[in-house]
Amino acid sequence: MLLLASFLSQAAIKNAVTEQVKIPGDCSQCKEGIEAAAFQKNTSEASWDVSTKVASITYDPKKTSVDAILKKMALAGYDNQQYLAPDDAFAKLPDCCRTARAGKKDALVAKNAPAHQPESVPVSPVETAGSDPLKPVLAAYFSVKDALVNSDGKAASTQAAVLVKAIKAVKMGQLSAEQHTVWMKVMNDLGLDAEHIEETKEVGHQRDHFTSLSENMYKLIKAGKPSETVYYQHCPMFNDGKGANWLSKIPAVKNPYYGAQMLSCGKTTETIK
Amino acid sequence: MDFGKSLAERLLLAFSLFLLAFRPAPAQKVVRYDLYVKDTTVNFTGKLKRAIAVNGQIPMPTLTFTEGDTAEIYVHNELNEETSLHWHGLFLPNRYDGVPNLTQMPIKPYTTHLYRFPIIQSGTHWYHSHTGLQEQLGMYGSLILHKKKEPVIPTVPVMLSEWTDMNPKNIHRLLHNASDWFAIKKGTTQSYSEAIRQGYLKTKVVNEWKRMNAMDVSDVYYSQFLINGKNESQLSQFKAGDRVRLRISNGGASTYFWLTYAGGKMTVVANDGNEVEPVEVDRLIIAVSETYDVIVTIPAGNADARPTAYEFLVTSEDRTRSASLYLGEGVKQLASPLPKLHYFEGMKMMNGMMKMNGNLDDRGMNMSLNQMDMNVVMYPEITGPVNGKTTLMGGISPENEHAHQNRYNSNALSAITTLNYAMLKSPVKTSLPKNAPTKELRFVLTGNMNRYVWSLDNRVVSETDKILIQKGETVRMVIYNNSMMRHPMHLHGHDFRVLNGQGEQAPLKNVIDIMPMETDTLEFAATESGDWFFHCHILYHMMSGMGRVFSYENSPPNPEIPNPKRARRKLFADDRAFHFMAENDFATNGNDGQAMLQNTRWSVGTEWRLGYNDHHGYETETHIGRYLGKMQWLMPFIGFDWRYRKMGMDEVERNLFGQQNTKDKRAVFSAGINYTLPMLVVAQAEVFTDGNVRLQLERMDIPVSKRLRMSLMANTDKEYMAGFRYILTKNSGVSAHYDSDMGFGVGFTLNY
Repeated sequence: MLLLASFLSQAAIKNAVTEQVKIPGDCSQCKEGIEAAAFQKNTSEASWDVSTKVASITYDPKKTSVDAILKKMALAGYDNQQYLAPDDAFAKLPDCCRTARAGKKDALVAKNAPAHQPESVPVSPVETAGSDPLKPVLAAYFSVKDALVNSDGKAASTQAAVLVKAIKAVKMGQLSAEQHTVWMKVMNDLGLDAEHIEETKEVGHQRDHFTSLSENMYKLIKAGKPSETVYYQHCPMFNDGKGANWLSKIPAVKNPYYGAQMLSCGKTTETIK
Repeated sequence: MDFGKSLAERLLLAFSLFLLAFRPAPAQKVVRYDLYVKDTTVNFTGKLKRAIAVNGQIPMPTLTFTEGDTAEIYVHNELNEETSLHWHGLFLPNRYDGVPNLTQMPIKPYTTHLYRFPIIQSGTHWYHSHTGLQEQLGMYGSLILHKKKEPVIPTVPVMLSEWTDMNPKNIHRLLHNASDWFAIKKGTTQSYSEAIRQGYLKTKVVNEWKRMNAMDVSDVYYSQFLINGKNESQLSQFKAGDRVRLRISNGGASTYFWLTYAGGKMTVVANDGNEVEPVEVDRLIIAVSETYDVIVTIPAGNADARPTAYEFLVTSEDRTRSASLYLGEGVKQLASPLPKLHYFEGMKMMNGMMKMNGNLDDRGMNMSLNQMDMNVVMYPEITGPVNGKTTLMGGISPENEHAHQNRYNSNALSAITTLNYAMLKSPVKTSLPKNAPTKELRFVLTGNMNRYVWSLDNRVVSETDKILIQKGETVRMVIYNNSMMRHPMHLHGHDFRVLNGQGEQAPLKNVIDIMPMETDTLEFAATESGDWFFHCHILYHMMSGMGRVFSYENSPPNPEIPNPKRARRKLFADDRAFHFMAENDFATNGNDGQAMLQNTRWSVGTEWRLGYNDHHGYETETHIGRYLGKMQWLMPFIGFDWRYRKMGMDEVERNLFGQQNTKDKRAVFSAGINYTLPMLVVAQAEVFTDGNVRLQLERMDIPVSKRLRMSLMANTDKEYMAGFRYILTKNSGVSAHYDSDMGFGVGFTLNY
């Protein structure tokens, strides 16, 4: 039966040629993704093996090429010998398929990637505070938020680590009296939520902590005057209809609680200037 | 594919010319090019097709000059048809501007024509055929003018274009006959069934109520997009850390392109050959015939990283396809593809703007300079993923004033920075002499998508006189776009200032893209003489007559135009041309068909219904009519009907008014009017010479699904018809219909 099936599929692709290509990935979800990207009726298909990480690509050379198929795989998020995936496509992959990006210029890409990603803020944990001592905290918060908008648990965890450091680095003496009072109240909770987000890579759990993190950030930012306009936004659906809030640098809604599912659900409820 | 030099060789040539420019140039250096224009065949899609190559290549060779040179360009026409070359964006004597029948006579087959002019400017420009639709067949090329001291940075000419296997003349004809074949190919029919499935039925009904067909951002379906003649290519000579200047020209006949880069932000440094203060953007759209100079950096990575090339991605505005240029060596880092357009959101937006009388209403937004882009409602990357219920429009309450103001402001809605004209600033003062007299001209860009009529102030080139201007005055143009498409308006031989809020440093351009409902103000110093074309650079709009001629008063006669009257007649012939269409349904119950000749205002059409026996009868109706008004909803006509039918003994038909009609043999003249009602129903009233009167309602080609069309008709002669047609190919379909005269039939339809 298996033989017959493979015979049939071979029969559908004329002039069939098969080549082996290595594609990284650690689970069966990658198999689905890789094979779906390569599949085109009567033209091409692939079979990927999780243990060897080798995709065996069968195609009709009169209709397509290995290069074109590898490009499709990269557009689906899977780096390969010819193409590196666009950063947003890579970010959408399941955790187990997001293996270390071979040859990827990590340090720089982190800064350059944002061309197509919402609201990127260059983050550096040791950024000097300047006029606003809370600026690094807010910047790190936005990075966590962006990671959640992209449903990227790994990135959220990394950015949360930056946030933890930024919170610890705040010099209370530089805060205004009003902010100082609020800071004393929320400091511990802020740190706890940030640490929880850092500890897990599970987006759902991160989002739970992000609701209280956002509440406290809101209180804190509202107590002072942020160095740039901040938008307080609300999604009525999260948490079984109880709703949840977050802060954003842009007025457009990019919902961190649902990611791509419901990216623009919500509205701006307050503009803090 | 065999047309001459490879891209690498061409680049090498460009580089060596570039190096030459550093030598101390003698004054008045003459630079000569010989261009041989010749038919060729190309294979961009797997099929061999006719194209036009110059010196054996598509695009035409990159021509390079240095400011101060004298250009001598010999054009050898080896085609069996006329040609011409226009030097887009160049300041030159009028007789060398290259507009056939306006600034010169066409270059006849197998003759040579010399263009000789001093190079008095620098920057990225391009050149193309200005004859007929030749530009679509490959006649476009880069024209790089160096400064005497050019900054040292690697430079690549980037010529963007599109390819279709269809003959451009056929494209032009189909556009004029409101064929929806291109929409079928693009998957943008926006039919009723698609509307229902996606929850936009109301939107679709309102759209048709306002007498609009499906909306799209571009008119033509292309099978391939090209960068320097290739869909994909790699420039491996660049290394990590390099900065590269791309000199980009859009030589597409009707396609706007989105430009994005996988290696980070791009720095725009010049536009239409004029420098601007550097501005960093994530993306920009390049209008048809514009040029942009953009500096990109190939990111430097970790020491141990694999060498990486970064994709410069060029995507057509309709997002059907893209072309790629990989900068650098090694593994290719891809840029994110642009997600598909959300057409029904666009239709909804259009409904909101369209008034019942066909004018557009900007709701007091005072739009200009591409800052408010109504199309953002269709861009998932700006306004969220495709889903009617949760897009931004639904998410933000109308009382949120801030959000409302920025509804269409792409840069406020997202972190993606998109270039718009307000961000362009000249590094030098561009103010015009203050004491010069000013002539202010106002234009409204007008159009009719259904009939593909494009005009200024509802008049095409052949319906207007030249606009007289005087040397020494400042000409100010205020242009409002009241049509449903965007138009890249191009002025020959001059740069104009775009009044964009940058004061004395307003940028200089020679093409401005004006989106629907935008108003832009331009001004230029009238310093030349002769006749200069001002037109929409979408090839098919220009050929439909969307333009004007600016003519300097008291200009000396142009030696290239020996017979101005004859030249004028030939120039006007372009937009006066008639377009032919015909279709016939070979059905089991008879033949049913029509043939039509139409131009900007006139329509000559014949319909026929031919049975297979005398009892079913034979009849034809011929109408000659003229479309009136801007929207062309009204068409009075005169006609001639001929019928023959064998009915029973003494049988007589009566119409709803009780008038008798022996259909057995009838030959009568008639007069009547057509009027297009909401829902695109055509109402017809006709009086015949035998005193009979007929009223009729007809709706053709209701888009039921992607390829299924329904037609309905009824009239006071108690005739009625209902039919379906399923479109198989560009020229054929299958049909089923019921006709009160001929009964039920199924058939095969051929259309041209």
